Amino acid sequence: MPAIRTRGLTKRYGAGDEAVVALEDLDLEVAEGEVFGFLGPNGAGKTTTIDLLLDFVRPTEGDATVLGYDTQPETDAVRDRVGVLPEGFDLWNRSSGRRHLEFAIESQDGDTEPETLLERVGLDRDAGRRPVGDYSKGMSQRLAMAMALSGDPDLLILDEPSGGLDPHGIRTMQEIVRGEARRGTTVFFSSHILGQVAAVCDRVGILDDGELVTVDSIEGLRETAGVGSRLVVEIASEPGASVDELTAIDGVTDVTRAEDGLHVTYTDPRAKATVVHRLVESDAAVLDFDIEEATLEDLFAAFTGSNADAGLEYETDARLEGEEDSGRSGDRPFGAGPEEVDR
Amino acid sequence: MTWVAIARKDFEDVVRSRMVWGIIGVFLVLMGIVTLGASSQIEDPAATDVISFFTNVGGQLFVPIIALVVGYMAIAGERQSGSLRILFGLSHNRRDVLLGKLASRTGVIAAATLVACAFTAVLMLALFGSLPVGTVLAFVALTLLLGAAFTAIAVGVSATAATRARAMGGAIGSYILFTLLWHPLVAGLHYLLEGDLVGLEAPGWYLFALRLNPLEAYRQAMSLLVDGYVPALVGWETIVEDVPQGAFQQGALAVSDRVAGDLPFYLSEWFAAVVLAVWIVVPVAIGYRRFQRADLN
Repeated sequence: MPAIRTRGLTKRYGAGDEAVVALEDLDLEVAEGEVFGFLGPNGAGKTTTIDLLLDFVRPTEGDATVLGYDTQPETDAVRDRVGVLPEGFDLWNRSSGRRHLEFAIESQDGDTEPETLLERVGLDRDAGRRPVGDYSKGMSQRLAMAMALSGDPDLLILDEPSGGLDPHGIRTMQEIVRGEARRGTTVFFSSHILGQVAAVCDRVGILDDGELVTVDSIEGLRETAGVGSRLVVEIASEPGASVDELTAIDGVTDVTRAEDGLHVTYTDPRAKATVVHRLVESDAAVLDFDIEEATLEDLFAAFTGSNADAGLEYETDARLEGEEDSGRSGDRPFGAGPEEVDR
Repeated sequence: MTWVAIARKDFEDVVRSRMVWGIIGVFLVLMGIVTLGASSQIEDPAATDVISFFTNVGGQLFVPIIALVVGYMAIAGERQSGSLRILFGLSHNRRDVLLGKLASRTGVIAAATLVACAFTAVLMLALFGSLPVGTVLAFVALTLLLGAAFTAIAVGVSATAATRARAMGGAIGSYILFTLLWHPLVAGLHYLLEGDLVGLEAPGWYLFALRLNPLEAYRQAMSLLVDGYVPALVGWETIVEDVPQGAFQQGALAVSDRVAGDLPFYLSEWFAAVVLAVWIVVPVAIGYRRFQRADLN
C-alpha cells in the first residue's frame, strides 16, 4: 500500500477562461517508508498538493489516498496518521511552547512527554516555558516540527521545513527526518531548495507550474539532466596534477581552466575531497575553493527544455537574475552547500 | 470530542488578551458613571432602574460589541495565519475547530457578561440596599443569551470569511444592521404595505418584525422585565414612525402600550429568549455549512 497515491489530481480556482490551474492531473505514488522530495519553485503547486492531501481544499478532478485512506470521505483517518509542518503559519503567541506541545499531545491522545519532544527539536526547557510570541522564526519552526512529531505519525508532511532555520537548525531538521525514516515513517518533504532535498530524500518529484515534470532519484536526475555541481579551486600556480588526471577521478565529469580558477564538475559529491587532495599533493598552492551547486533552475531548464542554452547555469549566476525567494532571508537556494564541505 | 481540547486551549489564549479586559474595564467605569449620574436625576429611583441603565449601555453597546470583537477572528484568524493547517495536522476536523472555537469564545463572553452583571448587582445593593433576586436572575439569563447570540453571529461570520478584513467587515456590518438599518427597513416595509408610517398603535407583525432583531428582542424583554420603557440606542420611533410628539419622553413606547388588547405570545418576554436562541443556532449553522464546503487556503 503506497503512503500517498494521487490519480489525476487537479485543482483549478475559478471557472471558464478565468480559471487558474494550481495543479494539473497529478499522478504520484510515494512508497511507505520512503523519504520523498517534492521539489519546485514557489507557486508550482506544492502547497496545493499538500492542502489536497489534508482535505484543506477539495480537488476539482481526480482523487488521492493517504496510507490507504481516501482523503475525501476518510479525512479523519488520514489526519489521525499524519504529522504536518505547514509553510507560513503563526502559533498562539500567548501560550508557552510547552503548552503548545501539551495541546498537540492531548489532541492526538498521545502519551509522549513534552520535554522529550522539545529535546528532539533542540529547544531547551527554558525556551519551553516562554510564550511563543517571544520566539524567533527558527524557534517557532522547531516547535511546529515538535508538534508535527507529537502524534508519532506514519506520514510526516513537511512544507518548506527549513524556512527561518539557521544552518544548525537545518541540520537538526535533517537529522530528525533521517531518524523518522529509520523508524519507518514516510516523509513527504516539499522544498524549493535542491540542496536540502538532495540531502535527505530517496526520490524526488519535480513540480513546475502545476505539473509533475519527472520523478527520479537525485543521482538519476543529475545524470539524466546532465547537470552536476561544480567545484571552483583557486590556485596560485599551475596545477601540478594534469587536467586529465583530475578528470579520471570517479564522479568527476569535466575539468576546465578559467580565470577564477579550476572548474571541476562532478556528479558524486565525494569526488570533491579527492580532487582537492590530489591538487594539494601535487604541490599546487590552493588558495581557496568554493562549491557551486547545480540549482533547481538548472534541473528545470534541463527537464522542461526552457532556457536550454543556459543548461549549465550555476547558482552564483542564477542568483543575480533575482530569484523568487529574494524575500526569504536565510533561505539560500544552495543551503546544503556550506555544510557539505564538513562531511 | 477533540473540540474540548481546542476550546480549552483557545479559552486560555483569549482570556490572556489585554484587549478583552480593557473593554470590560472601560465598560465598568462607564456603567458606574451612568448609574450614579442618572439615578441622581430621576425621581424616586428604584433598584430595577439600574437594570434599565445596564440594558441601555451594556445590553446594546458593551455585550454585542465585545462579543463581536472576541468572536470575529475565531476562525478567520486561524485560517489567515495558517495555524488552521496545524490544527488539521493534529487530527482535528472542521467541526471540531468550529465547535471548540464557539464554545471557548462563548465562555469568554459569558465570563465578561457575568462580571458586568455582578457589577450591576453590586451597584444595586450599594445604592438601594436591596436586590430583586427574581428580576436580577432573569436579567442575567437574558444578558447571557444576548452575549451568546452575538458570539454565534461573530463566529458564524468568521467561519464564512476567508480573510481577517472580511470577518471584520461582517462583524461591523451585522452591528450596523441591527442598530441602524433594521428599524428603518421594517418601517419601510410597513410604508410599502400600508401606504403610511406606523402610528403609536402598531400591528402585531410590525412589532414582531422589529423583535426578530436580537438587540430589539433583548431590549423589549428587559422593558417588560423592569416594567418600564428602555429606549433604543437610536430613537428610530421619532424618525421613521408617526408617533405623537412627547410619546418618547413619556415612555409610552413600550410594546405593551402599542398593541390593542392582550399581548400576543410572540411579543412576550419568553419569546424574546426564543428569538435570541434562534440567533445562536442559525448563524452557527450557516457558518458551519459554508466552512465545511470551503477551500481553506
